[in-house]
Amino acid sequence: MSPLPSLLIAEDDPISSRILEKNLRSWGYETTVARNGNQAWEALRGPTTRLALLDWMMPGAEGPELCRRIRALNKPGYTYIILLTSRDSIQDIIDGLEAGADDFMTKPVNFAELRARLQTGGRIIALEDKLLDSQKRLFELATRDSLTGIWNRATILRFLSDEMAHCQRGGDYSLSTILIDVDYFKKINDTHGHLVGDKVLSKVTSCLEKHIRPYDKVGRYGGDEFLIVLPNCSLYHVSIVAERLRAAVEKQKIRVDGGTLNLSLSLGCASSEVFRRPSGERMIKESDRALYKAKQEGRNRVGLCSELKIPKDAKKEPKKGSKKGTPRGPESK
Amino acid sequence: MALNPNDSLPLNRAEALERVGGDESFLEELLTIYKEEFAEKSPALADALANQDAKAVREIGHYIKGASANLSLPGLQAAAFAIEKAGAESRIEDAKASYKTLVAEFERLMKFLAG
Repeated sequence: MSPLPSLLIAEDDPISSRILEKNLRSWGYETTVARNGNQAWEALRGPTTRLALLDWMMPGAEGPELCRRIRALNKPGYTYIILLTSRDSIQDIIDGLEAGADDFMTKPVNFAELRARLQTGGRIIALEDKLLDSQKRLFELATRDSLTGIWNRATILRFLSDEMAHCQRGGDYSLSTILIDVDYFKKINDTHGHLVGDKVLSKVTSCLEKHIRPYDKVGRYGGDEFLIVLPNCSLYHVSIVAERLRAAVEKQKIRVDGGTLNLSLSLGCASSEVFRRPSGERMIKESDRALYKAKQEGRNRVGLCSELKIPKDAKKEPKKGSKKGTPRGPESK
Repeated sequence: MALNPNDSLPLNRAEALERVGGDESFLEELLTIYKEEFAEKSPALADALANQDAKAVREIGHYIKGASANLSLPGLQAAAFAIEKAGAESRIEDAKASYKTLVAEFERLMKFLAG
């Protein structure tokens, strides 16, 4: 059984609040007490209060006013509110409910009735939690790749499109992309089976995730193809990142029947700084061309969409002798 | 609210105990708090009556009514309710009369508890 939700008692009368507290604690609720409307508001706006007993008349802010405020705040995680009052006319009940209360009890409360009404509130909160949990799971299913857990194709392309729009609006920074292919992946699948192929993809994924910046996004673009979107990253810097990824995966080994399997990647990089009119589609196309070139030149290397100009202030140049593809001459962009 | 203070004891102990889960010492603790609260609110109510402050009369009457109801003090609850109502309707003279009843009911409670 899940623990009972945290409950706020907002009541200026110390006798009433002590009696409520004693009973509620004996039923297993964790309680917080507020002695006026302002204290109650501080507790209500916090994330932990999911059930509240609010006195109608309190110094600071009265119960109905607090109901209106909390509904206007629209905080995540619904707060179920029972208004407590000695008012009991039909109009009072209507006013209380219209202000945003879920229920209404006349003081002094009957505790058996209060307990039953709180259980109703608890059921509503549990239902909402279930719904939010389902929404979260559906979001994961719709946006994540089920094998590797990274973003799926549709989502990584949306990130690219959003970042490209941001880059074009903000103007002064470059966006880069890396398209990655696992070398000889079809052969691995054919020779060792799809389970080994899946292991390879998972291994490569964790390696990629480990070697990118926290704000870069990596997604599974196709079967054995990955796409990385790197905001605020020049062609020079993306070439360094790509080389780091290539070198990291090259060190990975997978155990298979009869030995170990060496892994390697071919990578194609593009950067928006190179193009006069960059777009998401153009970035993919140019990364794909650079990737094709890297594969043509023997795989396990990095291809670039354009000749690399090393900035004067660069701290560290890419290592000589790294397996970078021969940079192509500038194209007609 | 069918309360007739003359017919009842100042404290309905069985009802009050039921509300606090049968905990005698907790009830005693609450009665002590009630006495302290009454000692604070009663002069404030007298001031509000003297100043013809109907809003304060209503609010203090409401407060004492609630605390009395929680402890099953029917005489005090009825007198405080009469004060609250008179305050809400700006009938200060009626509230003054009910205040006398309230003080008398409080003394009756004190004797009952001592006794």
